[in-house]
Amino acid sequence: MSHTPNAASGHADASVMIRLEELTKRFPGQSRSAVESLTLDILEGEIVVLVGPSGCGKTTTMKMINRIIEPSSGRIILNGEDVTSKNPDHLRRRIGYVIQQTGLFPHMTIGENVATVPKLLGWDAKRVSARVDELLTMVNMDPAEYRGRYPKQLSGGQQQRVGVARALGADPEVMLMDEPFGAIDPITRDRLQNEFLRLQSEVRKTIVFVTHDIDEAIKMGDRIAILQEGSRIAQYDTPERILTAPANDFVKDFIGAGASLKRLNLSRVRDIELGTWDTVTTADSAETAHSTLSSSEYSAVLVLDTDGRPVRWVTADDLRRIDGRSLDQIGSAPQAVVEPRATLSDALNELVAARYAVTVVVDEQGRYLGVIDFDQLNEAIRSMRSTAVAEARSEFAAHDSSQEGPS
Amino acid sequence: MSAPATAASTTDAEVVQTQSAPPRRSWPGYLTMPLILGLVCLGMFLYVQSRELDSIEARSLNARTILTALQGHVMLTAVSTLVTLVISVPLGVLLTRSFTRVIRPYIIGVLTVLQAVPTIAILVLLAVAFLFLGFQAAIVGLVLYAIIPVLLNTMVGLEQVDENVMEAGRGMGFSRWQVLTKLEVPLAVPVILAGVRTALVINVGTATLVTYIDAGGLGDIIVAGLSTNRILVQLIGAALTAVLALLVDYIAGIAEDLLRPKGL
Repeated sequence: MSHTPNAASGHADASVMIRLEELTKRFPGQSRSAVESLTLDILEGEIVVLVGPSGCGKTTTMKMINRIIEPSSGRIILNGEDVTSKNPDHLRRRIGYVIQQTGLFPHMTIGENVATVPKLLGWDAKRVSARVDELLTMVNMDPAEYRGRYPKQLSGGQQQRVGVARALGADPEVMLMDEPFGAIDPITRDRLQNEFLRLQSEVRKTIVFVTHDIDEAIKMGDRIAILQEGSRIAQYDTPERILTAPANDFVKDFIGAGASLKRLNLSRVRDIELGTWDTVTTADSAETAHSTLSSSEYSAVLVLDTDGRPVRWVTADDLRRIDGRSLDQIGSAPQAVVEPRATLSDALNELVAARYAVTVVVDEQGRYLGVIDFDQLNEAIRSMRSTAVAEARSEFAAHDSSQEGPS
Repeated sequence: MSAPATAASTTDAEVVQTQSAPPRRSWPGYLTMPLILGLVCLGMFLYVQSRELDSIEARSLNARTILTALQGHVMLTAVSTLVTLVISVPLGVLLTRSFTRVIRPYIIGVLTVLQAVPTIAILVLLAVAFLFLGFQAAIVGLVLYAIIPVLLNTMVGLEQVDENVMEAGRGMGFSRWQVLTKLEVPLAVPVILAGVRTALVINVGTATLVTYIDAGGLGDIIVAGLSTNRILVQLIGAALTAVLALLVDYIAGIAEDLLRPKGL
């Protein structure tokens, strides 16, 4: 057995939460193993994304961790404990599980769905209902409004939020997520991904996340395992290093074109210097707005409310037709708004569609921080590229013979 | 737009369907059927009253005979349906488990063949070959005939349960038994009930035949009319059977509405 590139072994500082040892799955009647002797360490508190083309065995690999699929051979070690032959029902109650089509129980209310695992573990009713409310709040759903509803009364995005809440039910140490945002429209998916990352920054679970979408992998993963047929690891590393130093041609092909665009997913709005824009507040008069606008290089001013939240874009045209209305009643509402946590890719997406070719950045309370325009993004891409090239060079210099291909 | 994550869920751009499950049937809808059936019965009663009955007709068309026949018929239907349920639902559950995959087609084949044999033939067979007559023999005949719709509906009902729901259940740590009792069966209830409803109506109809093996029911009246060539008696017997079938179907419909799990 050739050595598998396993970057986690180099990070002895965090403890290993999940260790897969020589894990193999051979389905009856198939000549090839779906998963062939996979060895993988997953560190505590990290999101590890298993990504690869369809049929590479990534879902099978994930489902062997909670033994929805029983491994043919090999061992699964969860937090130091060999669980390969433990009672699977008890094992699964310790592992959160989120699947693509949500799998919510349609005949149970949202509250009952979320309460599934706590009830299985025999919590008393009071504790269960408190936990349900806590979890629904965590996924941005008002418990009073949604607790009593049925799944079919929710949109796809809301159903998946409930799916996540249900998986977190009894505060499991590990979560498995099988393309959780795959069946959701792109706009909602983006938002759910962001919400999930925020949630993860609070709960710090060890998460195994399966997707076939490399962009999602780059966005969500602390570490990415790119898998080839038979669940062989082509590269297991951080998103940054996978993008800048792909281990072999398979990885390079899988990342595909547009690696610099993908790198926009690696940087956040908070990492770059924001631009400024001319602003007035709703308390200001139309004259003030007019004079601000006429001395401005832009065709519109941004109107902030008294708390500093952007409320309107106002142009000279709007000011002419103001007819005694206040500034927040004219012009158009700002559409392109992101938080500092958003990736530069998010900012670019917003920018492309935005009216005044800028994305407005607000803090968590929605207060105006600054703007991002094309020049700033361009600058960010160029500086990342030069950093990447420098890193790649030092990489080769450091160990030029380290790229032995995994068979 | 990737709006700030703090955007409250209530202001979601996502489509939120707030309407609850559609009302199953309106009140007038619930009342129409009993009203029509009541009127039909009243019409029959008035017509029979207005006629001068001869002694043969009077022997069948009196309250005592009719009520006895009706009561017998309801008993036959109720007991045979109950027995059918007790056999078919567990059998349906067994036949949808993976370990029975091999024998599944044979059992269904045998039952389908049994259903293809006319009930009357089964009844005659029981009577001639085993000298088995009366109420219990009637139940055997009726049950053999009604098993298939309930069994097939149970199986279809269990098989149409969303694979993802069951996988999620297993992933949460439900045991196989809990997956069956908490997810599969409740979610199959609407389809199973539809099968029960079919079986009930079939049983009301075929129960008219068991008069030939001396098991009572409304068949008594029809056959009395046939053998004495009294058309009115035949008609009343048949009409009462039809009214009973419609009434049973109506009640089963209400039961379906009430027993269907909420949220489906």
